[in-house]
Amino acid sequence: MTPAHKVKITYCAECGYEPQTLALAKALMLEFGARLSCIELIPWDGGTFEVSVDGQLIHSMKTNGGFGDSAAIKDAVRTRLTA
Amino acid sequence: MTIDRSRFDQGLTYDAFKAQMTRNRERLEENEKRVDLAKENVAAFRALPRPVKVVVLAEDWCGDVIANLPVLGRLAQESGKLDVRIFLRDQNDDIMQRYLNKGQFKSIPVFVFFDEDFRELGHWIERPASVTEIRAKRRKEIFAAHPEFGSPDAPVDALPEEVRVRLQSELAKMREDTTKFANAEVVRELREIATRVAA
Repeated sequence: MTPAHKVKITYCAECGYEPQTLALAKALMLEFGARLSCIELIPWDGGTFEVSVDGQLIHSMKTNGGFGDSAAIKDAVRTRLTA
Repeated sequence: MTIDRSRFDQGLTYDAFKAQMTRNRERLEENEKRVDLAKENVAAFRALPRPVKVVVLAEDWCGDVIANLPVLGRLAQESGKLDVRIFLRDQNDDIMQRYLNKGQFKSIPVFVFFDEDFRELGHWIERPASVTEIRAKRRKEIFAAHPEFGSPDAPVDALPEEVRVRLQSELAKMREDTTKFANAEVVRELREIATRVAA
């Protein structure tokens, strides 16, 4: 049985990060399809933009800066999926 | 880049800024109504020997703009001494580059005060340091009082949804509880800059 892999994107709704959040969610949907069991979008505040896979943080605006490179985030997700 | 009269006149008035907002206008106007200006502060601005021009960098998606621009707006309305012009940050990078927070961050709002001859009196960025400090302290206290919220530095997505919703509610309440202090600090700092204008 294929294990269920969850991606969560926490974004600052106050800051208007919706376009970047939706763009990343779309990129992950197109790349991984049903290999992800869920992509959860979490509206938050305080300038947050964080991406985690199965509870492991793979990008944080606070520590890595910016929204992250989509290709690098996809690589990190892929690594988790094949682990 | 220097601000002169012709550039200043290209900025939006406070009302024009509000009219072009595509989000958060309701919140901004609600905050505007709730700004409680002490009589002595209004009197200090009214007593300015000459009108002061204020260049503002703002965007409607920024929480600090929605919280702090209304304070400036009310001071301008009630004193009649502040001529405010607002420039959208993302369309006016030349101005933004001159007022980067700590020389690197494009933090907004930025309020730059000028006399009538466009000599800069001083500028103000984002929010008072005292507000950042008190909110960080209160945030720590919330996490200390609620072990279920985990570490204040941990990603919130690790929390169960119902815990996350309670944390969000506690943080919103904390911001609400500190708003009066925050507004008073904004007024105090803006007054200190504006009153540098010479007679």
